[in-house]
Amino acid sequence: MTDIKHHAYLFDATRCIDCRACMVACSVENNIDMDKTRIWVAGLGVTGEYPILQRGTMVYHCMHCEHPDCMSACPVGAYTKAEDGPVTYNPDLCIGCRYCMNACPFGVPHFDYDKGIVDGAFIDKCTFCPQRIYNGQEPACVQTCPTDALEYGERDELIKRAHERIAAHPDRYIDHVYGEFENGGTSYLILSHVPFKDLGLPELPETPINEVSEKVMEMTIPFALGWGAVLTAVSAGVAAYDKKLALSKVEVKNGKSAEKKAEESK
Amino acid sequence: MKLNITLPKFLRIGTLPLVLILLMAIAAVVAFTRYAFGIGAISDLSYSYPWGFWISFDLFTGVVISSGGFLMAGTVYILRIKEFEPLLRPSVLTAFLGYIMVAVALLVDLGQPLRIWYMMIHWNHTSVLLEIGICVMSYLTVLAIEFSPVVLERFPKLHKAAHLIHRYIMPFVILGVVLSTLHQSSLGSLLLIQPQKLHPLWWTPILPILFFASAISVGLSMIILESSLSSRYFQRGLETHLLAKLAKALPIALGVYLVLKFGELAIAGDLGYLFTSGIMSLLFWAEILIGVLIPMIWFSIEKNRTSPNALLTGAIITLLGLILNRFNVSWFAVKHPDPLFYVPTFMGNVDYFPTFPEVAVSIGIFSAGIMAFGLLAKYFPVFEAEHHHVEEVHETVHGLHPAPTPGDD
Ligand code: SF4
Ligand code: SF4
Ligand code: SF4
Repeated sequence: MTDIKHHAYLFDATRCIDCRACMVACSVENNIDMDKTRIWVAGLGVTGEYPILQRGTMVYHCMHCEHPDCMSACPVGAYTKAEDGPVTYNPDLCIGCRYCMNACPFGVPHFDYDKGIVDGAFIDKCTFCPQRIYNGQEPACVQTCPTDALEYGERDELIKRAHERIAAHPDRYIDHVYGEFENGGTSYLILSHVPFKDLGLPELPETPINEVSEKVMEMTIPFALGWGAVLTAVSAGVAAYDKKLALSKVEVKNGKSAEKKAEESK
Repeated sequence: MKLNITLPKFLRIGTLPLVLILLMAIAAVVAFTRYAFGIGAISDLSYSYPWGFWISFDLFTGVVISSGGFLMAGTVYILRIKEFEPLLRPSVLTAFLGYIMVAVALLVDLGQPLRIWYMMIHWNHTSVLLEIGICVMSYLTVLAIEFSPVVLERFPKLHKAAHLIHRYIMPFVILGVVLSTLHQSSLGSLLLIQPQKLHPLWWTPILPILFFASAISVGLSMIILESSLSSRYFQRGLETHLLAKLAKALPIALGVYLVLKFGELAIAGDLGYLFTSGIMSLLFWAEILIGVLIPMIWFSIEKNRTSPNALLTGAIITLLGLILNRFNVSWFAVKHPDPLFYVPTFMGNVDYFPTFPEVAVSIGIFSAGIMAFGLLAKYFPVFEAEHHHVEEVHETVHGLHPAPTPGDD
């Protein structure tokens, strides 16, 4: 069991030494091939200008967004956002359309391109190690990290800790906690000494990305009903008009007598 | 007015069907490889480019070129402009086959093709793709119903059934138009979830409206194209006077689309990108010029609307331009997160370029569609207006109804 109400990670790019132990730990814990890892580390090389040179390493990982775009996009609802943070994927529902990969702004979900129809090709992404966190342990990647570049805990506390760290070393950090508000907030928070763009992170608005498409989707049913009603009315109107036109033409053809008759009958 | 030459049956099996069969065979081999060894074995799709040629061509293009069906059904049944009846059946058939092709192509593209029906029972209400899936499946059913009289009429015993369907067709026609409106526009909504990936020249909240507006022009052009081609191939008369009317509507439909498109860019303040985005600006202008401006001018010239050759040329130009738009929106203008950072080289390809087998699958499916159209048009009364119904309504009214086509059924 766990007391944490909203699970989250904090990644501190200044502490990462590019040892990639987290990748190995995740692969071992979750039995994943190394080339399909759920967490990947990229050395970004040396940035800046002499003499102020910096090197950075970024650990990419599912952000466990508060408003997950993968979940919004998946047609069959294979994703779930748990109230306490984790965004998880259910292979039993997935049809393999890969729309979630398109939708995720961080390019997180991965697909089995090497599996045929017998094995079945699925999506894979970080699960937040439920088998560990719900047993009071840290996720495998976090526990392995030798420098505490990856930390795990309550989201609010981690945000507080991050801001405290920035306040304590304003010269070392950029004054921003990536993920606090991005895309409506994420559960993977990032501290950095180089601009977040250099870490390869997209610049995202504070409103969730999927807001626009979800609004459009909300309008679908009312629109369909309204449009159907309009079309029905139009076709009924045109039909009635056609009938009237046909009648009057018949009358013209049959001469005045018919016209008189019609008038009388009216 | 009409040139009616009886179709020499069984004679016209020439090079075209042979080539089509060959292309289908290649696609079948590729598809087999894909099912055995995975999508990666035949395509260049990767973690960074999960959607490629298949989605742009099979889904986006396939759906939009099938929009003639609902346009004609709406015109003939809802607006009751009966003179377009000769164009109705071929358009409905094109749409029907078009959507079947989309569905077949998806069976290759999906990771779990056997689960395609999951979309019918597991609904995620926020997913645009779900709406498209449901609409396409339902619309396929509607099209089957709309087209069924053609098949039934072929057999004298089933005339009654054909008549029955014809009598209760209205609800299906209306449903078909609603479903088409929904999913033609929703294909645009698919991209709404990638504002930071799709270039701002194309990403706009009104993408669904733009998609629907351009689908109308594509539908009109497709009807012109398919009538022209089949009149050549089957050596039957061409309804030039009808096509001329469609051609006259094209500049209006395209004009509305143009105003919407540039109006949105102006309001969003994205006009600057028109000249500053390098290849993206170029693609944008290519699509506008070929798909909108040139056709608007072309079809505004009276002479071009009455000549079969000019009609065909104009339709092809329009289609090329508007299909380029679909490719732009779904592929060329989509930039996935910087692969340098996100996808270390061992995890996938950084660039995407469709492989030969990938394209071969789509071409094979397309060939099957053309083949099916040819066969159905040959053995079923596709190119005849529904005589009895037309007569029923018109004969009593106008004395001057054109004589029914001498039978080649
Ligand atoms: S980072 Fe991507 S995969 Fe993870 S929750 Fe967010 S949208 Fe979903
Ligand atoms: S690939 Fe699977 S999980 Fe992803 S959107 Fe499609 S059905 Fe959902
Ligand atoms: S939380 Fe677990 S599944 Fe996710 S990256 Fe870390 S070790 Fe892997």
